[in-house]
Amino acid sequence: MRFSNLLNQIYDEEILAKLGFLKNIRLFEGIRRRQLIHVLESLQERTYLKGETIFAQGDIGRALFIVFSGKIELSRLSPATHKSEVIAEVNPGEIFGEMALLEEMPRTATAIATEETRVFMLFKIKLETLLFSRPELGVNIASQLAKIMSARLRAILEKPEQ
Amino acid sequence: MTDITAEPKKNYLQFVLPAFLGLALIYFIYLAKGALFPFILSAALAYILNPVINYFEVRGIKRSYAVIGLYVVAGLLLFTVVYLLVYFVTIELEALKDTWPVYADRIVQFVQNLNAKMVKNYPLLASLKLDQKFSHLLETVPQVILTLLPALTLLFVVPFITFFMLAGGSGIMDYLLDHLPARNVEIVMHIASRIDASLGSYLRGILLEAFVIFLIALTGLLMMGLNYSAVIAILIGISSLVPYLGAMVGAVVSSIVAYLQFGSFIVIFRLLVFFTGIRFFDDWFLQPYIMKRAVKLNPAIILLALMAGWELGGIWGVIFSIPVTCIIKEILHIAVELQETEFRWKPKAEPTRISIPYT
Repeated sequence: MRFSNLLNQIYDEEILAKLGFLKNIRLFEGIRRRQLIHVLESLQERTYLKGETIFAQGDIGRALFIVFSGKIELSRLSPATHKSEVIAEVNPGEIFGEMALLEEMPRTATAIATEETRVFMLFKIKLETLLFSRPELGVNIASQLAKIMSARLRAILEKPEQ
Repeated sequence: MTDITAEPKKNYLQFVLPAFLGLALIYFIYLAKGALFPFILSAALAYILNPVINYFEVRGIKRSYAVIGLYVVAGLLLFTVVYLLVYFVTIELEALKDTWPVYADRIVQFVQNLNAKMVKNYPLLASLKLDQKFSHLLETVPQVILTLLPALTLLFVVPFITFFMLAGGSGIMDYLLDHLPARNVEIVMHIASRIDASLGSYLRGILLEAFVIFLIALTGLLMMGLNYSAVIAILIGISSLVPYLGAMVGAVVSSIVAYLQFGSFIVIFRLLVFFTGIRFFDDWFLQPYIMKRAVKLNPAIILLALMAGWELGGIWGVIFSIPVTCIIKEILHIAVELQETEFRWKPKAEPTRISIPYT
C-alpha cells in the first residue's frame, strides 16, 4: 500500500492522461505507447480563452493543432459576400490546420476559440525532426496525415452543391 | 455570419507598459551585470540538461522527482570521477611541483641557448632582451593559476541555481506564451522551436564531441607513457569546446611535456601525428555524425566570433561566442524568411497547382 502511494506520488497523472489522449487521435493511429512519448515531447501546449483568435485566414501556417479540451470554430471569408461563414466546429480529439505541415502557405480559414480551449501544437520543424530521427514514427504520422487530407478532400467533393 | 473584415483600431497605449518593463529590465541587467554571470551559466547548463529531465517527465515521472534523481545520480558519478581524477591529478601535480623548477630551468636554458645563437647571428635581437622577459613569464605561471581559483566558487553556486531552474521547468516561458497576443503565439513558438532545434543540437553535440576527444587523448597519451596525461587530456577536452582549439592545445602542451620528459624529437613527432589524427577524425567522423542537425558555421565566421568573444568577455566570452553566433545566425535566417513571407519581399508563393482532379 505504501509502495503504491509512493509510485502515485512520483507519477504525474496529467502526463499519463495526455498520453492516453494522444493514443486516440487519428493522426497517431498505429503508433505504440512507447513511441507516443516522442510525439508528446515534440508537442507544444497552450490555452486559448473564449473569443481568442488562434490564426486568421491569410496568416502563414506553421503548425497543426489538436484540440485537447474546449471547442474551436473555423470560419472562412466568402469572396462573394465578404462575410465569414462558419465551415466547421472542432471538438476535443480532432485536428485542424494540417496543411501547415505540408507547405508554409497562407491559412485558408480563421480559427477562433468558442470556449476556453487547450490545444497541442505540432510544428513543421518538429515533425521534420521526428521524420529524421525516428523515421518509422515519422512515416506513420505522414501516412495518417495523407489519409486525413484525402478524407477531407473526398468530403468536399461528395458534398452536395448548395 | 459575422463580419471579420473590420480591423480594430490600433491603440499604441497598450505598448507603454511592456516597453517600460523592458527598459526597466535592461537597466537592471546593466546595474547588476556583475552578479548575473552565474545565472547565465546556470541557464545554459539547465538548457543543456533539460532534455534529460524531459525524457523522464514525458514518461510520467513528476519533474521535481526527475530533477532530484538526476542530481543524486550526477552527484554520485561526479564524486567518483572527481575522486579518481583528484587522486591521479594530485599525484601528477605533486610531481609537477617537485619537477617544475627543473623543467623551468631546462626551458630557460633552452631559450637562453637559442637566444645566444640568434644574437650571435643577428646582434639587433640583443636589445630586445628576450631571455629576461621569458624568465619573468615563467615566474608568473603559478600566479596565473592562483587567479583562476575564484572561478571555483562557480562550481558550487551554478549547480545550486541550475537545480531551481530545472525544477521550475518551462514555467516562465509558459506564462509569457499564455499572455502573448493569441495570434502571435504560432510565429513566436515557431521561432523558438527553430532556435531550440539548431542551438540544442550544437550544444549537446559539442559537449559529446569534447568528451570523446578527451577519452581518445587520455588513452593515446597514457599509451605513449607521457607524464601528466590526465591533466593534459582534461585541458584538451575543455579546449575542444572552442572549435579548432582542442587538438592545437593538445599538440603544443604535450610536445613541451614530451620534450622535457624524453628530450627527444621522435616522441614529439609521434605526438604531432597523433593530434593530427585526432583533428581529422574529428572533422571526418565525429562532426558529420554528432553535429549533422546543428547550425553550420563558416570557419571565418567562427574565427570572427571567437575574437569578438575574447574582446567582449575574455575566456567566457570565447566559450559562449559560438552558441551566441548560432542564435544570431538562426534569427537572421528567420528574419529574412519572415520578410519574404509576411512582408512580401518576394512575390507571393503560389500553391502547387495540378490539372488532374481528385479521382
